[in-house]
Amino acid sequence: MEQWIVETENLTKTFGRETAVDGVNLKIAKGDIYGFLGPNGAGKTTTIRMLLGLVKPTRGTVRLFGRDMARERIAILRKVGALVESPSYYPHLTARENLETLRIVLDAPKFRIDEVLDIVKLTAAADKKVKTFSLGMKQRLGIAAALLNEPELLILDEPTNGLDPAGIIEIRELIRRMPSEYGITVFISSHLLAEVDQVATKVGVLDKGKLLFQGPIGRMRELARPAVRLKTDDAERARRALLARGFSLQRDGDWLVLEERTDERVAEAVARLVQDGFPVYRVEEEKKPLEQIFLQMTAGRQAG
Amino acid sequence: MTGRLFRAELLKIKGKGLWLLTVLGPLGVVGLQAVNYGVRKDHLFAQSDDRWGDYLANVASFTPLALVLGIVILTSFMAFIEEETGAWKTVAALPAPKSLLFLAKFLVPAMLLMIASGLLVLFTLAHGLFLDPGGRVPWADLLIRSLLPVCAALPILALQYWLAVVSRHQGVAVTIGVLGFLLTYNAHMVPDWMPWRWPALAAAGDGAPAAIMGVVFGIALFAAGMWHFSRKDVS
Repeated sequence: MEQWIVETENLTKTFGRETAVDGVNLKIAKGDIYGFLGPNGAGKTTTIRMLLGLVKPTRGTVRLFGRDMARERIAILRKVGALVESPSYYPHLTARENLETLRIVLDAPKFRIDEVLDIVKLTAAADKKVKTFSLGMKQRLGIAAALLNEPELLILDEPTNGLDPAGIIEIRELIRRMPSEYGITVFISSHLLAEVDQVATKVGVLDKGKLLFQGPIGRMRELARPAVRLKTDDAERARRALLARGFSLQRDGDWLVLEERTDERVAEAVARLVQDGFPVYRVEEEKKPLEQIFLQMTAGRQAG
Repeated sequence: MTGRLFRAELLKIKGKGLWLLTVLGPLGVVGLQAVNYGVRKDHLFAQSDDRWGDYLANVASFTPLALVLGIVILTSFMAFIEEETGAWKTVAALPAPKSLLFLAKFLVPAMLLMIASGLLVLFTLAHGLFLDPGGRVPWADLLIRSLLPVCAALPILALQYWLAVVSRHQGVAVTIGVLGFLLTYNAHMVPDWMPWRWPALAAAGDGAPAAIMGVVFGIALFAAGMWHFSRKDVS
């Protein structure tokens, strides 16, 4: 039997009559970078709070490193580092003092503070007050704090939220290094597919509290590939012409939506249309928003 | 573990002026009498033969107010430090029992109030000697009036701390704190069974029953708060 780093069973949390998290079964293996995807309000943060024992599940269990959170919370948390939602800090203290407040409790060695500051590249700002920090620096300080106890599991909730592109790239690099350089399993949540796509090896998709999909990132990419839309003078006739040529496509009002998306097939479709005398006014790529991919997944689940 | 948590709490209040407040409280209480006696010392000394006793009673008339005000400010502050940037979730996710976290944080205002009470002894004595009322220093009276009110105020401390820590923002705790302050201000009209009366009873000189009640009831309230906090979800 495989030993999961994170394993939840029928994890459910209700607030009054509202179900925030609904029967979620997460499975995360050692060395995974697990992308936890879902629109805002899907229940990601509530799930993370339950993984950390901050919130008690209404039903279901959380097991980390094979141990039950309800019974061994403190032993589990010794091996977990977390950055939940916005970074929290004490603005009147320096970066070093902020880490010190946690280090004292964790009983980590003093030099560990320099190590984590170095990992997140904040050494130069170590003795500056955190209130002068940019959001990106605060976020990095939050990650440094999460790394203090040399965790085996790092949980990062929307770590790139509100960062500028340079900051996003920095955090992404940092996350990528975790499993290879430090042997840390990473759990990262995001509402942006592109974000998770860059770093994750495995994804889970949460929508309205339900886990719609869990699996390798490759399958997710398949579903998320952008569609190509074409506009001609007579969509219905053009559709039939292309169908007759063996293309799979659909009509959406005046538009044709090509389901084949390789460069060659798109070029071929355009060439066929022109040969058959249809003027091609527009060829557009349609990036699918995450919500639509979710819909596709639910549709897939119902069909399957 | 409690020791480590407590040291972390002490670091968090660095540079926030809480230590200054701890000195200013007793200094203010004695300072008011410095003004009082500065303006009309001869008149006040002419009131009775027990000049030391009168002086100590005058100082003690403001001790409960300063104490309750200090409690509201300190407890609210301890909670605000975590609330300001949403740090509760980080602290609660540390591998430490939440009950001990609750205790360690409570010990900071409790300790500061005890230090303030100790300073009150020193300041009262120093100013008293400066006034030179004659006769021997009434040590027992001085210590009782300075040190017992903080024991009698323990239920108020436990209640305000609990409110400050569990309420979503400090408005609730401070509002109730202000109401408590008004009760303390009018302590002579408050029935004996209400905790807001106890610091005044203790400061009045025969404070042992009020102090004992305060400690017993204060520990009970604190335990209830700890029980609640350690079971409560962290949002």
